[in-house]
Amino acid sequence: MKEEKQQNISTKKPRFWRWTVASIIFRLILIYFPKNLNLATRPEVSTPVTSLRRLAEGYWLTQSLMSPYAGSMYHGSPLLLSVLGPLTMKKIEEQPFHLLCSLVSVIADFICAMLIRATGLKLRMTYCERLKLLGLGKLFEVSEILPSEDIAALVYLWNPFTIVTCVGFNTTPVENLFIILSLYGACIRVAPLAAFGWVIASHLSLYPAILIIPVILLLGNGPDATPRKLFLMCKKDEDDSSSKGRVEQNGLKELKSFSWKPVVLFFVWAFIWTLYVLVLCGIFMRNYGGLSEMFRRTYGFILTVKDLSPNIGVLWYFFAEVFEFFRNFFLIVFHVNILFMILPLAIRLKHRPCFLAFVYMAICSMLKPYPSVGDSALYLALLALFFNELAEMQFSFFLFCGYVGVSLLSPVMHNLWIWRGTGNANFYFATGMAYACFQIVLVVESVSAMLNHDRKIRKLVAAT
Amino acid sequence: MAEAEDESAKPKPRPIIRLGLFLISHSFVVSVVCCAAGVFALLLLPVLAKNTYISENALMPGSASPMLSNDDVSRARAFVNKVVSFDTKSDSSSIGLQELVAQHITDLGGEVNFHRFLPQVNKFNPLHFFSSPDQGIVQENYSCSSYGINTVGFIRAPNGDGKEAIVLVTPYNSVKTSTGEALSLGIAYSIFSLLTRVTWLAKDIIWLAADSQHGEYAAVAAWLREYHTPSFGGSGRGVFESNASPTTGEKRHNDFLRAGTMAAALVIKVTDGSEKAERDVLNLYAEASNGQMPNLDLINVVNYLAVNGQGLRVKVEKLGSLLDSWWLRSLGELFQKLGKVARSLNPQWNFGISVAEYIEGTATLASSLYNQALGVPTGPHGVFRDYQVDAITMEISSKRLANYKNRPSELLLQGGRLVEGVIRSVNNLLEKFHQSFFLYLLTSPNRFVSVGVYMIPFALLVAPLPMVAASLFADASRRNSGMENKEVTTFPASSDIPAITFGSWRWLHAAKTVFIVHFWGAVVTLLPHFLSLVPDSAPLTNLITWIVLSASSLLILQVILGSSFTLPSMTHTRGMEWTLLKSVTIAFACTGLCIMSVINFATAEMGALMLVPMCLMSRPLRLDAKAKTLKSFLRAGCNVVLTFMFFPPVTYYLWKGALVGLDNARIGDFWNWVESLWTWNSATYIYVCMVHLPCWVLCVHTLVYPC
Repeated sequence: MKEEKQQNISTKKPRFWRWTVASIIFRLILIYFPKNLNLATRPEVSTPVTSLRRLAEGYWLTQSLMSPYAGSMYHGSPLLLSVLGPLTMKKIEEQPFHLLCSLVSVIADFICAMLIRATGLKLRMTYCERLKLLGLGKLFEVSEILPSEDIAALVYLWNPFTIVTCVGFNTTPVENLFIILSLYGACIRVAPLAAFGWVIASHLSLYPAILIIPVILLLGNGPDATPRKLFLMCKKDEDDSSSKGRVEQNGLKELKSFSWKPVVLFFVWAFIWTLYVLVLCGIFMRNYGGLSEMFRRTYGFILTVKDLSPNIGVLWYFFAEVFEFFRNFFLIVFHVNILFMILPLAIRLKHRPCFLAFVYMAICSMLKPYPSVGDSALYLALLALFFNELAEMQFSFFLFCGYVGVSLLSPVMHNLWIWRGTGNANFYFATGMAYACFQIVLVVESVSAMLNHDRKIRKLVAAT
Repeated sequence: MAEAEDESAKPKPRPIIRLGLFLISHSFVVSVVCCAAGVFALLLLPVLAKNTYISENALMPGSASPMLSNDDVSRARAFVNKVVSFDTKSDSSSIGLQELVAQHITDLGGEVNFHRFLPQVNKFNPLHFFSSPDQGIVQENYSCSSYGINTVGFIRAPNGDGKEAIVLVTPYNSVKTSTGEALSLGIAYSIFSLLTRVTWLAKDIIWLAADSQHGEYAAVAAWLREYHTPSFGGSGRGVFESNASPTTGEKRHNDFLRAGTMAAALVIKVTDGSEKAERDVLNLYAEASNGQMPNLDLINVVNYLAVNGQGLRVKVEKLGSLLDSWWLRSLGELFQKLGKVARSLNPQWNFGISVAEYIEGTATLASSLYNQALGVPTGPHGVFRDYQVDAITMEISSKRLANYKNRPSELLLQGGRLVEGVIRSVNNLLEKFHQSFFLYLLTSPNRFVSVGVYMIPFALLVAPLPMVAASLFADASRRNSGMENKEVTTFPASSDIPAITFGSWRWLHAAKTVFIVHFWGAVVTLLPHFLSLVPDSAPLTNLITWIVLSASSLLILQVILGSSFTLPSMTHTRGMEWTLLKSVTIAFACTGLCIMSVINFATAEMGALMLVPMCLMSRPLRLDAKAKTLKSFLRAGCNVVLTFMFFPPVTYYLWKGALVGLDNARIGDFWNWVESLWTWNSATYIYVCMVHLPCWVLCVHTLVYPC
């Protein structure tokens, strides 16, 4: 967290590559000492859904011709099992088992960072273009626009949460990769790629399914759809001006319509990919109870909050306390909570689909039954994409201290409860609640900063 | 924090925000008041201490009359005589004494096995705190020839299911057994001989006669580690166990024997009482590693039985040098008077405390705080706490020891009945100890300060930190926005478009400095590990190497990381950077102290006493020099003195000088102290290196800041 902020300040390209390589090397060094760090067993890092140790168990079960879901150990996708499973068993030259899987994580992290960078570049270019179109070119003279794509990529690579997740022997880096892939595909408006990323990400961890809205908006409107009102305002002011107005009119025409073609294409491809994934899963599961068994053991496990072992979320404690006959009711309440927020946010932030994706991911990581720090790593990187827009964000220092404090306090409280026996579950749950609160403050503050920024631009447009 | 920025924009913010703004704007007064109140509340703790009570009803101490008979005692006496005479007559075999003990246990009908272990070198493992104790299994090299051999005896409970156990530990030196050790073995033997016959036993009894020739702690630790790490498959096990008894070849149990989970453990010791006490004294030691304490109920039971049952005088450790200090006496008198006044106002206000009581209480409290803060266990009971077992050391200090030959039975009877009573109480437990407190400080054996009370002084001490940080932060951002406004007016050309200023991210620069220094703290923490790899170096050399390496690594880090990033738009306010830097420093000091208070409260309390004034006072000396007023000179002087005093080595020598005098202090002592901290895996060491030292460096940085 701390380090990541340091990176915000970097500017030049060679420096970017130097720090990228450094982060990769740092990871490679860390994966040689997994026993000392013992991260794979930390509840903050690996959840029942993402743990690779569970995946290895599931793979072992399939090797002995049993259903991978027998014994309620593994809850991930069968595809992941057949891709990563062999890697958990393979040993190269006396190296420990985890090495290959960890290497996959490192590579996933690297690709992820590169995709973030490409997305960020696209976003920043459109942002600058729009500003110029709106006649706010002067803004570049008085203030500089930082290369937010580099910042975001470095934030992702050097965020301690990402590093811990990468070294911590779990599948979160791969899941994050597909989420980013779908956003990237949507940003460059390649519908098949976006559909592929979206389908796989939803298949792996279910919650990215709600990203369908930002993806559609991205495909339809382009990465940064400035509200039409602004251009109208701009046009009205400069009706009489000759050349500039015409340029803007051209721009306006270009922007006007929500292009349905890529969206339809996206749906077609999404259908194809879904079918493909389902067929593959069906083939895998044909001896173990078919697709229904898979749905019950993966999505069912996530949605009904079966595993109540402590994690950094808030649901485990709640469902450990709640009476059995209220359980279904509260399950519905908590999941509808996420769904309720989708529509209002989509309406308010429809002109900034990528930012909308950040908000969705942050809300999901708050209300997920099995959250891990890897989710935070993802949304923090997405947040850093908007470093220029969020320059005036309030409480940044407070939030920073909060994240640092909570991420240090949480293991201590866990130790106090589990190993020392002098604390109790409330100690640990308190840090989980504090973490959720900080996430809420982060979302609220960043959204309000973003809206303030838009308001400021509108004012400037009105003034010129 | 940043509410202050839009203070002018919003005419009437909500009351809670207004309260926050009020506190932030008066942060100086508030912090002075809070700190003074914190120190005062700390001194008030002995007055606020409550009497202990036995919280778990199932314990029922003293409800049964002791069953230990003279028969058991006379048998134990014979055993003690054998142990003492054994020591003198045969030096030929090193295993002889263990064999004697084992033989006696078998004769009583208990099971025996030997546990052979190697003295393990304490290794520094900085992550030990966050991991389970079971991970400490280290591959040792078995070249060392001097094994220690523990003798472990078991009684299987007739009424139990074998899932729980109570442990008795008697450390003794198998090479040269002293009378006290022989007597402690005798006490355990008498209990053992009683317990093999009783019918009420519901938990197994384990008697660990720990071979302390390599230290008491190491012996108990080795056995406990083996006990809690069952090895499957059986490769490499022979090292730890001896299948047949070494001298006679008689067949013993093949396996490492176990009973269930441990409900409690008692370490029994007998020492020669040199004091002129008319009664025998029972010293209680309870502090385990990192300031953990056993459940208060265990201490209560022992205390209750010792005082009411056996007429012993129970004592806990005191800091002797505090007992005759004049300021404590006058403070005690003040509190006594206050208590009297309060009682005259309302007879129900009963918090008066006599001067002697206050001084005793404070001395005990200070020792309790000190031992917890060091994080080094005060005896072999400390190991048990790492496995969540409540344990306590009972040291019976008797002046009759010198001439015990005349009347040994009395001591054996007294000690034996006490232990019997405790075992009987613990035997009644249905669950593990959980009713009473785990977090407390003792002010006397029967008075304690619970966590709810002792957190108050700490909270008061730490409260100014976030407030001052917020006020400095708001101050800095206000000044920045003022500056920007000025700039905007000087460049009227660009005034129509306000620039994107990274106003709220300006702290990043200060955070970078703070991060580098804290990162350096981590480097400093790890350096002794590498220094200790160099064999046979003097403490002084090590200390100097450590300091030199640390200083150079700070410089290197500064060069590598410090120059890496600068945000161009953030450079133009260099003069006022120090307020932001101080704000970030204070915020991190606060975070560090709060986390430490959860890990080891006593360390955090002592650390806060030093860190809070130092951090709050720091201010560039040049500013004070420019001001040239008496106040600023005073402040600068205070700053220099505080920073000098709280440099960790200086603090250590001052502390030592205050406690024992500096007459025979050597410079290398500090290294020895640090080494002892990290070999015991004390979190205090990590605190000093990763919180205190970086904050000290940052304060020095603030002091010499060019303005």
